[in-house]
Amino acid sequence: MSHEARLAALKIELPQPAAPAANYVPYVISGNLVFVAGQITIWNGEVRYLGRIGETLSVEDGVAAARLCGLNIIAQVRAACGGNLDRVKRCVKLGGFVNCTPSFTEQPKVINGASDLMVEVFGEAGKHARFAVGANVLPRGVAVEVDAIFEIE
Amino acid sequence: MAGQIEARLAALGLTLPPAPQPVANYVGFVVVGREIHVAGVGPTWGREVRHSGKLGAQLDVAQGYEAARLTALNLLAHAKAAIGDLDRITRCVKLFCLVNAVPEFLDGTKVADGATDLLNDLFGPDKRPVRSTTTAPSLPFDIAFEADGIFLFE
Repeated sequence: MSHEARLAALKIELPQPAAPAANYVPYVISGNLVFVAGQITIWNGEVRYLGRIGETLSVEDGVAAARLCGLNIIAQVRAACGGNLDRVKRCVKLGGFVNCTPSFTEQPKVINGASDLMVEVFGEAGKHARFAVGANVLPRGVAVEVDAIFEIE
Repeated sequence: MAGQIEARLAALGLTLPPAPQPVANYVGFVVVGREIHVAGVGPTWGREVRHSGKLGAQLDVAQGYEAARLTALNLLAHAKAAIGDLDRITRCVKLFCLVNAVPEFLDGTKVADGATDLLNDLFGPDKRPVRSTTTAPSLPFDIAFEADGIFLFE
């Protein structure tokens, strides 16, 4: 099944690709790689999942927040592909930042919200390398931020 | 057959750990063209965490340096799993280094040197990577250090 068909079959809705918050672009295409800027928990302009995991938010909130970051990444990649996700050859890499307390160590579980989404939508091509790290604050106070590298054809 | 790079490792009294198993729904590396993108790894040996805790609290710079050195070995373990022979690596392109530290800790770069000094010893000074280092208030499993990397190979 093609990526676009799988997305439709899963009834996964993508947000509008978010405009950058400052003097940078949402993605850069270099050769056959798409570098996607850090995406936060925003749905069509509305910022969601504000707060710190381990304090005001739970791990489950964090997983949902990471999934929303992932949806924004896919929206940007679709834009980079001229509206056609079937050009995606592979999700190469995700970088996950988790707004959390200093004693919180379950960043991998949180970032799974984004990783699981990539495998759901892209199947084998969605399997990527990644890192997950704690941050003491993130832009606009969001719970999670994720950036990405994709290979396209 | 172990090649030149592994001979240099042995001369330094080092061996490669087993390539770490990803702890969640991702893979240890992805090969794109002539690049190996390695996932974030830490100072582990197999499933055992060898260096945990925060710089500036439980750990000093020397301990952090050792954690970074072991982390670099784990990056190389993935690179070897990807292409079979470390001698095929032409250079490390980029490292992103994360130091588990208290907010007052300012010597993150000295800690990350543990990773880049090893790469320098193995591949030579003209093959050193670009590097970003930042401190983090917490890391998965309370590991002291984490790094990901991009390697170029032929």
